[in-house]
Amino acid sequence: MIIDDPSSHFIFIYHPFVLMGKKYTVYQGRELTNGEVLKYWGKWIVLGNKDWLDDLAKKLDPYVEEKKIPCIKYDRNPSSNLGTTECVFMVYCDRRDRDNVWRILSRMGVKLKAWVTEKETMEMWMPGKPLMERWMKSQGFDEPTRDMIRKDAETRIGKIFDNPDMIFTGWEQ
Amino acid sequence: MSIIIRIPGSLKEWLDNQEEAVCQGNTIQECFNYLENNFPGFCDRIIDDKGEMSNVLIFLNGENIRNMEGLDTKVNPDDEIGIIPLAAGG
Repeated sequence: MIIDDPSSHFIFIYHPFVLMGKKYTVYQGRELTNGEVLKYWGKWIVLGNKDWLDDLAKKLDPYVEEKKIPCIKYDRNPSSNLGTTECVFMVYCDRRDRDNVWRILSRMGVKLKAWVTEKETMEMWMPGKPLMERWMKSQGFDEPTRDMIRKDAETRIGKIFDNPDMIFTGWEQ
Repeated sequence: MSIIIRIPGSLKEWLDNQEEAVCQGNTIQECFNYLENNFPGFCDRIIDDKGEMSNVLIFLNGENIRNMEGLDTKVNPDDEIGIIPLAAGG
C-alpha cells in the first residue's frame, strides 16, 4: 500500500503488515540482525521526475503486496539542500534477492543500474562524512548544534555497528 | 569494445543532452577518457580538484566501483557504467 502523507518528505510503499508492527527487513521469513543488514541490505536507486515516479510506484505496489519487494521510499520533492534536482526512488531489498527485484524494475523501464548498500548510506551520514556535513550546512546550524548532531549520529549509527547480533530496528537519517 | 554509460536526466548535459552513450576502454578510467574526448569537461565533473569522486557514485553493472578497484576497475564488452549524484545514494 502507498503511504502518501503530505506532511512527510517521503512517500512509502509498504505491505500492510508493516503497519501492524512487523518488520520489512526480513529474509526468507526471518528478521535480519544489525550485522545481516550491514552485510546484505540495500536498495536500487532510481532517479526521475515526480510524475514518472508516482506512476512507477503504482505499478510496483502490487509487487510489494505480493512480498516480492520489501519496501519502497521516494522523495516528494528533490532534496535540493543535498544537491539533487530529481526525486530519488529507493527500492529496498536483501542483496540475495536483488537480481529478482532488478528484473521487475527493468520490466518497468528502469535502465540505470545503481545498487547502494545500507552500510554505505549509514557511512555517508556519519560525522564528517559528506551527506551529514552537507545537510547541516544547508540547515545553517551553528557549530555547537552541529557537534550535538554529530554525536547523536555517531551514537545511533554506532549502536548498529557495535551490536551485530541484535535484531535491526531501523535508523533515522 | 563497446561499453554503455548511463546517467540520470539531471546530468544529461554531461553527455550533450543524452542519458546514455557508448564508450570504449579496458577500465572505467579509460572509458572516461574516451568520453572526455567526445564530451569535453566530462572528467572534471566526475573527479574533483583533489582527484576524488566526491560528488558522484559510479557503478559497473549496478555495483559501486568503490567496492571494486575504483577507476582502475576492468570492464568487459557490453558492460554498463552508471553514474548518479552522491546525494542520491543517501
